[in-house]
Amino acid sequence: MDLSSIDLRAIGAWFHGLLISSGMSQTGIHVIEALVGALLLLIFGLTLVIFLIWLERKLAGRIQDRLGPNRVGPYGLLQTVADALKLLTKEDVTPLDADRVPYNLAPGLAVFHVIMALAVIPFSNRVIGADINVGVLYLMAVGAIGSMAALMAGWASNNKYALIGGFRVVAQLLSYEIPLVLAMIIPVMVSGTMRMNGLAVAQGSIFGFGWFVWTLPLAFLIFFVASLAEGERAPFDLLEAESEIVAGYNIEYSGMKFAWFFLAFFMNSWVLAAIGTTIFFGGWQGPFVDQLPALGVIYFLGKTMILFFVQAWVRATFPRLRIDQMMSFCWKFLVPMALVLFAAVAIILKLNLPQPLEAITLLVANVAILLTGVTLLGRTQRKALYAPKRAFTPTIPRL
Amino acid sequence: MTDPVAQLREQFPDAILSTSDTSAVPSITVKPETLVDVGFFLRDAPGLTYDLLSDLTAVDQLELASPLEPGARFYGVYHLRSVSRDGTLLQLRVPLPGGDTPTAPSLTGVWPTANWHEREAYDLLGVHYEGHPDLRRILMPDDWQGHPLRKDYPHGGEHIPFSPTWEDEEFKFLGQQIMKAEQRPEAVPGRMDSKHMVVNMGPQHPATHGVLRLIVELDGERIVSVEPDIGYLHSGFEKQAESVRYKDFVYYTDRMDYVSAMQNNLAYVLTVEKLLGIEAPPRAQAIRVIMAELQRIASHLVWLGTHALDVGGTGLALLMYAFREREDILDLFEMVCGARLTTSYMRIGGVSADLPPAFVPRLRDFLAILPQRFDEYGRMLTDNPIWRHRLEGVGYLSKEDAIAMGVTGPLLRASGVNYDLRKAQPYCNYDQYDFEIPVYDEGDSYARYFVRLNEMRQSARIVQQAIDTLPDGDFWLNDPKVVPPKRELLDQSMEALIHHFKLYTEGLKPPVGEVYYGIEASKGEMGFYIVSDGSAHPYRCRVRTPSFSNLSAVEMMSKGHLFSDLVTVIGTIDIVLGDIDR
Repeated sequence: MDLSSIDLRAIGAWFHGLLISSGMSQTGIHVIEALVGALLLLIFGLTLVIFLIWLERKLAGRIQDRLGPNRVGPYGLLQTVADALKLLTKEDVTPLDADRVPYNLAPGLAVFHVIMALAVIPFSNRVIGADINVGVLYLMAVGAIGSMAALMAGWASNNKYALIGGFRVVAQLLSYEIPLVLAMIIPVMVSGTMRMNGLAVAQGSIFGFGWFVWTLPLAFLIFFVASLAEGERAPFDLLEAESEIVAGYNIEYSGMKFAWFFLAFFMNSWVLAAIGTTIFFGGWQGPFVDQLPALGVIYFLGKTMILFFVQAWVRATFPRLRIDQMMSFCWKFLVPMALVLFAAVAIILKLNLPQPLEAITLLVANVAILLTGVTLLGRTQRKALYAPKRAFTPTIPRL
Repeated sequence: MTDPVAQLREQFPDAILSTSDTSAVPSITVKPETLVDVGFFLRDAPGLTYDLLSDLTAVDQLELASPLEPGARFYGVYHLRSVSRDGTLLQLRVPLPGGDTPTAPSLTGVWPTANWHEREAYDLLGVHYEGHPDLRRILMPDDWQGHPLRKDYPHGGEHIPFSPTWEDEEFKFLGQQIMKAEQRPEAVPGRMDSKHMVVNMGPQHPATHGVLRLIVELDGERIVSVEPDIGYLHSGFEKQAESVRYKDFVYYTDRMDYVSAMQNNLAYVLTVEKLLGIEAPPRAQAIRVIMAELQRIASHLVWLGTHALDVGGTGLALLMYAFREREDILDLFEMVCGARLTTSYMRIGGVSADLPPAFVPRLRDFLAILPQRFDEYGRMLTDNPIWRHRLEGVGYLSKEDAIAMGVTGPLLRASGVNYDLRKAQPYCNYDQYDFEIPVYDEGDSYARYFVRLNEMRQSARIVQQAIDTLPDGDFWLNDPKVVPPKRELLDQSMEALIHHFKLYTEGLKPPVGEVYYGIEASKGEMGFYIVSDGSAHPYRCRVRTPSFSNLSAVEMMSKGHLFSDLVTVIGTIDIVLGDIDR
């Protein structure tokens, strides 16, 4: 089959014609088309999660010297389906003194915010739910709903572990949103657009040299670390630290409501990887994408999966941070560095340098700030290390 | 002058009632009213410095034909060690006044570790310790009637709800014992402030390694106090020992510290051998050393994996890596005795079977790859900044605190105390092997990580030397009164058949007496105190398990830290609830 014959526009045009021929009003056609698009995205998102959970478990298994799921279906691919079916049969327990409205609303909101985020992600130059001109801002706005959902679940469950998870949510998700936003703003400043597809288009020079990750490596690093925290991934998975607060804010959820949180978690990780791909790795850009627009989807999904793999890899390698260490890492390291970078990039852009020179200056500024930051961090850390201290003085008779 | 008896006689002329020398351990009987003063003196006097209270218990002499302490039904017994003087042991006995309601002065002011031990003696034997700050039951439920280790406690009279048919009476109330939550008032320990959040951690919690329950008082995420609640796995092994024969109790010891069964076996059989006055042949001793050290590696690997799991989350790959090597060790155990976890390999007078021919080559292969694997763990964790941040300075235990709390094993050595019974009081010919005791001064969780990691390397060294110098000869003692004769002899010798019959019907009968013996198990000092009345069953068998004392320091180690650090502290103590609750 000739790949170039896949023209998504043709399918769209055919569907559009079908609706017109049914004699519907312009508004009605618009609404129906938008709904069909949303439905397609939803189905894509949910199917993707089934695959993502399998992938994460398989990867974790291989990294940990295990086989991973391999019983249900070929290569264990249907394991997630079996798990979902099992969760459907579970009793849906609501704690006696739970605050019912937020308790029941929270899992829905958790999934809702991730699916909302899918809307502005450009899968290719044309496959995009809504190419709105404030895409980045929109992503941050719907992202905040996620923290809301976790907070609601933690508060409403009437469980102390959930409450601890709840207040870790406030501390972590809200704090890490700041470096995340700052890191996302920098490519926006360079490209001059908040449109997600616009950001992907702006990185379109040959062979990926236009990717912002080359000119703004520090911005990407900050984004990646903050996205691990936003996605509740290790080493920042304190919200649901299973060895400390058992499951954190979703401890009281069972059955399908728990499955919703689970689904939201994996989809959120993937969406953050997708945002990273769009903003820093050229999105759907790749060789021959002009000739074959369908290749864009493949490039995009491939790059996103690589980022997702790195997330899973980090999880298998790093222990979990403690809440105070995580806070100080955010406020004493990530945020200052992001702010300095923000200022530096703003100044460089104001200089109006010619193109290759500007890119080089940006890269130099990034690397310089990164090295300075890490050196300063290392110095303060070295002071803190090797200094065992007692947190209190015991009152026992001295020998 | 380091003779405790003479020094004590000089200091307290009226205190000493009698002295004896049981199994080369000086034993002093003192008057109960002088106990605290004697305790202070033995702890502080220069030249004595019995600073570690290894064990504290009491014995009910009701059915003892010739009581060790005539004139009292109960006597308290204390085993003191001097950490600074190579773990020299001293036994202190006190006849307890009060007849059926014995009382004793509390030693919590002298050795804080006595707190939990006295609670245990109160719980199981009903000894009232005067001056104890918090005398409550510790192992049995709060509403338990009676004290199970007393000799007049009805044995077997309990109603055991087991029946083959559903029509039986005990199923009539099935499900009714489950109480609704609101029926039971929230039982917050009195010392905790109701302004703070009191979190119940366990007995079912992923990080408590079994059924430990911690009542944690939190101010935000900061720990104000911790109240451990143990006993959920109390199986009454000490009571059980009184009704099984000596050789049959080996199987029970497996179930105590179930990740280092070989060590428990070893501690028990060495104690009984001490009581009998025998010693296993050199080959058996070497095999025991190999097994004990392999078990130490296996136990530390479980610790490493689960500690990393607690600190790092389920994704961390180290758990599976550590268990990969442990699997090899368990395969080796399976080769020698057919069992992997509950080995029961040691026997009184030797080991149950000789090493199979394939064992040594396979062990050599394993030892060849082991150092690389240790390096791999080190690369993953040692310089990992997050790992260091989570461990350094967390769970600090000073040298003095550690000794005062009766903490032994890697925890004590990470607090800068060079004390290891393998070096201090060698058993099983440990003095023949060349190995080092890793000691770190930092006293925090990171130091304990290093101690255990290096101990594994040293254990591998010992195993290497043991297989290189493995002596030939018998793996069982040739003493038909203790050890059953070989199978082939039964077909030829009437004598052998009689011995075999006698041993398996009556069991071996050690002389009347008492003995305490402790070894350096994976987690610290594992000791048995056995009182023999000359019959085939132990009259009283007390188990001193390392984790019991080690866990009692948990509040000291975690107070003031964050909630996440409590998990680190539990992990770094390396608790096994079977070891604590017995």
